[in-house]
Amino acid sequence: MRESLTSRETRPSWSRGSFLRVVAGTGGAALGVVLVSRGVAVSDAAPSPAQDRRIFQFALLLEELQSAFYSDAMERGGLRGDLRVFAQVVGGHERAHVAFLRKVLGPAAGPARSFHFGTDTSNPQRFGVAAHAIENLGVAAYNGQGAKLTAGAMEHAAEIVSVEGRHAGWIGALLGDPPAPRAADPGLDANAVLAQLKATGYLG
Amino acid sequence: MRDDQEAATHRGDTTGPDDLVQTLAEIDVDGALRETADAAVRATRRDLLRAIPLAGAVSAGLLTARGAQAAPGLTKNDVAILRFDLALEYLQAGLYTEAERLGAVKPRTLAFSRVVGAHERAHARAIKGFLGSKALPSPSFDYRGVTENDTAFVKTAVAFEDLTAALLKWQAPRLDSRSIVAAVLTLHSVETRHAAWIRHIVGVLPAATAFDQPAPQHEMAALIASTKFVVSGWTTIRRRKPRFTG
Repeated sequence: MRESLTSRETRPSWSRGSFLRVVAGTGGAALGVVLVSRGVAVSDAAPSPAQDRRIFQFALLLEELQSAFYSDAMERGGLRGDLRVFAQVVGGHERAHVAFLRKVLGPAAGPARSFHFGTDTSNPQRFGVAAHAIENLGVAAYNGQGAKLTAGAMEHAAEIVSVEGRHAGWIGALLGDPPAPRAADPGLDANAVLAQLKATGYLG
Repeated sequence: MRDDQEAATHRGDTTGPDDLVQTLAEIDVDGALRETADAAVRATRRDLLRAIPLAGAVSAGLLTARGAQAAPGLTKNDVAILRFDLALEYLQAGLYTEAERLGAVKPRTLAFSRVVGAHERAHARAIKGFLGSKALPSPSFDYRGVTENDTAFVKTAVAFEDLTAALLKWQAPRLDSRSIVAAVLTLHSVETRHAAWIRHIVGVLPAATAFDQPAPQHEMAALIASTKFVVSGWTTIRRRKPRFTG
C-alpha cells in the first residue's frame, strides 16, 4: 500500500490512465464480491487504492442494477414518449458506468449479477417511481463514499454522480415531483444503501 | 499533533491585511487561485499519508452551521477555494432572488427560481459557516436585464448550473479537508439536479453524456467576468503563493 501511494505521489498529475493502473494493478481476486452477502466492507480509513477498490465494487453493484433495470424496462415496460427517451438515454449512461467500473476493477469486478425487478419494469407508472428511487439512492450512495476516495478516484466518481444527479432531477421533473427536493444531497453509508436495495427485492 | 501545528501555521498565513482584487477576471489573470488550487492537489496527496478522521457530520446534516471555529482548521488552499465558491453562490442566489422578486419570467421558470434561489442562498450560508471569520461579504451585482427576460434568464441559468457542477467536480479532489470535501459533494449533486431541471424546462437533454467533465476554476472565473454581472466589491483574495509547494 505504502509503495503504491508513494508511486502516486511522484506523479506530476493524476491522469485517468495512472489511476486505472494503480487500482487495477493491485487488484485482489481474493476480495471477491462479498458485498451483498456480508455487508459492505467500506471503512472510514484514510483513502487508499484498496479502499478505492472496495468503494468501486460497491458502485459497480449499483450501476449494474441500474443498467439492468433500464434494459429490462426498455424490453418489457411498454414505455412511450418522454419516459421511453429517459429510459433509453439513462440506460446508455448506466451501461457506460458499468463498463468504466469493470475496466477500473479488472478481475476484482467479479461476475455479472442478475436482478429481479418484477412489475417495476413492466408497468410505466411503477417504472417511473422506481427509477426515481434508484437514481436518488445512487446519488446518496456516491455522496456517502466520495470523500473516502483518493483524489484521482474521487474525480472519476464525481463525473459519474454528477450524471446520476441529473437523472434524478430529470425523472423528478417528468413525474411532477421536485427535481431538487433539498439544498443538499446527504450521503448514505454503504450499509444503509444496501439495506434499501435489499428492501426493493431486486437483488433476488 | 502535526495537524494542530499545521492549523496554527495556516492561521498565521491567512490572517493579516488582504490585497484588493476587483474582479474575478483579475484573479484569473493573476493566476493566484489557480496556483493555490494546484498546490492543493499536492496537499491532498499529503493527506493520503495520514489518517483523516471522518466526522459523523460528513454524512449527516451538512448544512447545519459548522460555526466560526471551522475556519482555523482550514488550510489556505481550502479558504481560497471556498471563497471562490461563496462568491459564486452569492452570484447565483442574487440572480434567482431578483428573478423571483421581479416575477417577469414564465411561471415554470419562476417556480424553478424560487426553489433554486432558496438552495443557493442555503449554500452560501453553509459555505460562510465553513469559512467562519474567513468569509467575505457579497460583491454587488448587476444582472443587466437578464432577470426580466425569460429567454436570457434561462440560458444564463443553464450555463451557471452546468458550470457550477463542473467547477465543484474540479475542486472536490483539490480540497485538503475531507469533511469539506464531503460537504461540497452534497452540494455538487444538487447543482446537477438544478442543471437537469432547467434543461428540462428549456427542452434540451437534461443529461447529455455518461460522464460530466470537470471545469477548472479559471474557466469559471472567465465566464463570470464575461457576463459583467459583478459590479464591485470583489474583494480580498490574497495573492501570495501557498505555503505548501510540495
